[in-house]
Formats: sequence, C-alpha cells, structure tokens
Amino acid sequence: MATLIAFSKWLETTNVSWAVRGGMPWIWPACETLHFIGLCLLVGVIGVMDLRLMGRLKGIPIGPLEHLVPWAVAGFVINVITGLLFYVGAPGQYYGNSMFWAKMAFIALAGINVLVFNLSGISRVVDMLGPEADTPWSAKLIGATSLFLWAGVIFFGRMLPFIGGAF
Amino acid sequence: MVQYLEWIENTWFGIWVRESGSIWSYPMIITLHSYGMAMLVGVSAVIDLRLLGFASRVPLASLRRLFLLIRIGFWISLASGIALTIGDAATMLISPIFYIKMLFVVLALVTVRVTERNVFGRPALGADVLPTHARALALSSLVFWLGSITAGRLTAYLGPAAALKGLH
Repeated sequence: MATLIAFSKWLETTNVSWAVRGGMPWIWPACETLHFIGLCLLVGVIGVMDLRLMGRLKGIPIGPLEHLVPWAVAGFVINVITGLLFYVGAPGQYYGNSMFWAKMAFIALAGINVLVFNLSGISRVVDMLGPEADTPWSAKLIGATSLFLWAGVIFFGRMLPFIGGAF
Repeated sequence: MVQYLEWIENTWFGIWVRESGSIWSYPMIITLHSYGMAMLVGVSAVIDLRLLGFASRVPLASLRRLFLLIRIGFWISLASGIALTIGDAATMLISPIFYIKMLFVVLALVTVRVTERNVFGRPALGADVLPTHARALALSSLVFWLGSITAGRLTAYLGPAAALKGLH
C-alpha cells in the first residue's frame, strides 16, 4: 500500500494527470461518457449471455451468441483505459476509497468466473446446446454469478462519489 | 416559470432526493438510473449488432424476447429519471443539454419501437431475411443512444446535485 501511495503521488505530478484532472477540461467528461458507453456494451452483451446461461431466453443458441462477446471485450477495454485515466488524474480519491477496492475486487472475481467458465469445460458443453435446450446447473451458477458481480461493479462504481468522496 | 420549477424541487420529495444525505435517495436513484441505462441501451445494442450482421447465426426470432428486457430498462430509467429531475427541476428543466438528451432519447425509443414492429413483427421473421431498412434502423438506434449517453453525462455537471459530488 505504501508503494502504491508513493507511486500515486508521483502519478499526480505527471502532465497526463494534470490534463485529466481538469487542465484540459473536456477530457474528464469525455472519459466518463466513454466509460458509460463501454458499460452498456459490456453489461448488455454479457447480461444477455448470463441470462441464457441461467436457462432463460432459451430460444437463443449459445454458440452463435458468443460471436457478440468481442463487443463486450471492446467495452471492457474502453473502460479499463478510461478507468486508468481517472486514476492517473486523481489517484487520491481512489486508493483510500473502500468503494474503489470493492469494485476492483468484483471485477477480479468476474474475471475468475470467466476463467472457470472456459477452463472447466462448461463453455464447451453449452456451446453445443441448440435452441430450447436447458443449461446444466454449473452453467446456471456461472451466469448468475456473473450477473451479480457486474451489478455489484456498477453499484460500487456509482457509490464512489457518495461513500468514498470521489468526483 | 422559474418559480414553478423551484416549487417542484422544493417539494418534500425534491428536497429528500437532493438533500436528505441518505444513501437511499440521490445515490440509490442514480444507481437505478445506471441499471436502467445498461438494460435499455445495452440490450438495444445487442439487437442492433445482430441486425448489422454480427452473430448472424443467432435466429432473429429468438431475440424478440429481448424487447421485454428493453421495456423493463425503459421503465426503470424513466421512474428514476423523473425522481432525479424533480430533485433538480430548476436546473435541469431550463438547461438546453437536458432537452438535447430528451430529444436523443425520444429518437432512440422511436427507432427501437419501429424496429420491434417492422423488423421483428413480421410473420416471415423465421426465414431470417432482413428488410432493407433494418440496418439503417440499427445504425440510427446506436447513434441516438450514443447521443443520449453523451448529453446525459453532461447534465451531471449542472446544478446543486452536481455539487453533492464535489463538482463545481
């Protein structure tokens, strides 16, 4: 933690930090807008996937639906980049903020959930399922976990200004 | 006009939204607005991407059920949006940015509705042949949603509720 704080203090002295913080006033709102667009892409595509894994929306075949996942990844990449810029711009409002760490923890858990989905073989099983086929309980659990974690990520992100005092 | 708007934001409800300091007022309402947005815009985008030719092996008819999710997202956004507007009436209802957002939202909603009727309401949907204007509808919907989000973000920089978040 001490290393992170020292690094963050150094970050704050950089030109990029100055520009994001308000030196170039359009950067922060532009990053926020992109962060919301990324959120919609990520949660829209993954949310529909999750519901199908949970055995809802049964008409949709899972294998073909997975062709939309690159759009969710694109949304995630947009949000990682803009999120990093927020941190560089005003690190002080994040590293001491419990909501920030809760959000990061949930993103990490969502990543582990995706790894479990792919490495356990569950993804291969559900890829073969045609329309109207029910999903195994393991897939239902993966889908429900993902939905819960992303809902939590949005919640903690939204609470950053109110509980943790970020802007 | 201004007095009327001030009256709205100074009703007990407006004051509660803006000034109660409770996690259940402004913070929770704006979180609901984000959930509504994710459902409304995110699921619309899934349909638009399919109409633009991505994931083309997903049968169109199987996506019809997604309009229910879009509808739920719409009502959550509308209800939370009305609450936020009451709390900030004298700022929002005289702000051009607010009306630009509303214009984009209405255009997007009309586009989604036309898509539901003209593209997904046809009996021939099972054949998976798209009407020629399906792509134009999908592109318009995406552009209108991008406009709504952009203008919506900018409203966050206006008024007393913005000061709640340390913005000036």
